[in-house]
Amino acid sequence: MTAAIEVRDLVVERGKRRVLNSISTTVPRGSVTGLLGPSGSGKTTLMRAIVGVQIVRSGSVLVLGQPAGAAALRRKVGYLTQAPSVYDDLTVRENARYFAALYGYGATAADAAIRDVGLADAAGQLVASLSGGQRSRASLACALLGEPELLILDEPTVGQDPVLRAELWDRFHALAAAGTTLLVSSHVMDEAGRCDRLILIREGAIIADDSPADVRAAAGTTDLEEAFLRLIQEREEAVATPGDRAGSTAVANERQTP
Amino acid sequence: MGSVRAELMKLVRRPAAWLLLAVALVLALTFTYLIPYASYAGGTAGVRTVGGLPAMLPARLVGNSLGGLPVFLGALVLILGVLVVGGEYGWATWKTVLSQGPSRIRVYGAKLAVLAVACLVTVLAVFAAGAGASALIAAAESAPADWPSAGDLAQGVAAGWLIALMWAALGGLLAITLRSVALPIGLGLVWLLAVQNLLAGIAAPLLSWVATAQKGLPGPNAGSLVAALGAADTPGVERLVGAGQATIVLVGYLVGFAILGGAILRRRDVL
Ligand SMILES: Nc1ncnc2c1ncn2[C@@H]1O[C@H](COP(=O)(O)OP(=O)(O)OP(=O)(O)O)[C@@H](O)[C@H]1O
Ligand SMILES: [Mg+2]
Repeated sequence: MTAAIEVRDLVVERGKRRVLNSISTTVPRGSVTGLLGPSGSGKTTLMRAIVGVQIVRSGSVLVLGQPAGAAALRRKVGYLTQAPSVYDDLTVRENARYFAALYGYGATAADAAIRDVGLADAAGQLVASLSGGQRSRASLACALLGEPELLILDEPTVGQDPVLRAELWDRFHALAAAGTTLLVSSHVMDEAGRCDRLILIREGAIIADDSPADVRAAAGTTDLEEAFLRLIQEREEAVATPGDRAGSTAVANERQTP
Repeated sequence: MGSVRAELMKLVRRPAAWLLLAVALVLALTFTYLIPYASYAGGTAGVRTVGGLPAMLPARLVGNSLGGLPVFLGALVLILGVLVVGGEYGWATWKTVLSQGPSRIRVYGAKLAVLAVACLVTVLAVFAAGAGASALIAAAESAPADWPSAGDLAQGVAAGWLIALMWAALGGLLAITLRSVALPIGLGLVWLLAVQNLLAGIAAPLLSWVATAQKGLPGPNAGSLVAALGAADTPGVERLVGAGQATIVLVGYLVGFAILGGAILRRRDVL
C-alpha cells in the first residue's frame, strides 16, 4: 500500500518569499505525525499543499497515491484550518449538520462528531457565543465529519485545557488505530511526545523527521523541547559553517541541501 | 442535490435572511399602501395622493408589487446574494466547504439555486402581502376588488423573479470578486441607490450619450420591464426601453453575472 502522504522536493512561494524550500517527507498510513516548528516556519503552508489548496512552485505531493487536491480525494481528506472555519451566526449543531449534508452524511454523523469533540452540551449554542477553545472544537467537529482517511489538523488543540487536550489526543490515537492517518501541527512539546513521528521544520526546511525517541537520541537529551532547541541551533551553526554537520543523524533533508 | 439541501438549510436557519425578508415586506407595504392610504384617508383636500384610491386597489397588484424591484427591493436581494455567497469569505469557511466536499462549481451552483428559491419566495411574499393590503383597503373603502388575471399575475411574478435573481447574482459576483461581505454590500448599494439615480436624474438629461448608455444598464432595464407591467410613481421605474428588450437584457445580465462569478471563483485562490 502506498504511503498516506509523499512529498517530493516541494517548493512553495507565497508572495515573493520562498516559504517551503525543497521539502521531502513521507507519512505512513495509520499513524499520528506531528508537524512542529517555529511560528512562520511553513507548517500551515505545507498542510495547505497536502490538502491541495496551495499553489506550488515545483515538486510533487502525493496523497493516498493521488496528486494532492485530486477530485478522488475529496471525500478522503479532512482539513482543520488554523483559524476556526465555522459560521458564527449558526449553532454548533446547525454548523455540523450543514457540513454533514454538504458532504453527504446524515444528522447522526453530525451529532456524533459534536460528541467526539466534547461539545454535546453546547450543541444548541450559537458559535458566536462560544469560548475560543469551544469554537475551535466546533471547527474540529466539522473536519472530523464523515471519518476521512487522512486528517490534516492545523493546531487543533490551541486554547484547550489539559484535560480536553488529553481527550482529543486519545481520540486522535483511536482514529489512527482504526487506520486513519493524522498530520497534526502543534507548538506544544508535550503533544509532540504523543506523536508516532515528528517532522520539525524551520524556515521552510525539514530539520528532523523521526520518532520522538530518535529525535531525543539524535539531540542527546531526554527533553523534546531541549532537543528541538539543540537541533535548531545545530542547524544554524551548520548554515554558518557549511560542511560541518556531524552528529545530526536525524537531519532528514541533509541530502537535499546543496 | 445534497449541496442544494445543505445550502437551503443554512439559509433558512440564518436570522439575517428572515430579517431581509421582513424589511422587504415592511418597506413594500409602507410605501405602496400604508403611507398613500394614510394620506388618502386623512384626506386633506388638495393634497391628493398621486394615484388616489385606484392605485391601491387589487386591480393594480402586479405593478404595485413590482415597483420596488429596480431599486430598494433590488438592494435587499443584492444584500442577500452577497450574504449567501460572501458569507463563506466572511466566516473563512470556503476552505472547509471545499476541502472535503463537492467542487467549487457545485457549491456555487447550489448557492445560485438557493438564491433562486429565496428570490421567488421574496417576490411571492411581496405579492401576497400586497394582495392582503389592497383587499383590506378595497373592503374598507367599499371599492371594487378586481383582481388581475392569473396570466398577468404569473407574468408579474416571473418578471419580479428575474429581476430579483439578477440583483442577487450581482451580489454574489461582487462577493466573489472582492472576497468579503461588507465591501460588496457597500459598493452594491452605492451603485443601486446612488449612482443609478445620479445617472438617471442628473447625467442622462444633460448628456445624450449617458442617456443612451444607461439603456443598457441593469437598473433602467428592470425599471422599464416593471413599468411595462404597470408599476408607476416609484424611483427607478421609467419606461426607457420595451418590455421585450428589457427582458432579454436582464436575462443577459443574470447569465453574465452568474457565469463570471463562477469563472472567478474557480480560478482564484479562495483562502
Ligand atoms: N498569503 C501569504 N502571502 C505571503 N506570505 C505568506 C502568506 N501566508 C503566509 N505567508 C508567509 O509564509 C510563511 C509561512 O507561513 P505559515 O502560515 O505556513 O507558517 P506556520 O508555520 O503555520 O506558522 P504559525 O505557527 O504561526 O501558524 C510565513 O513567513 C508567512 O509570513
Ligand atoms: Mg500555521
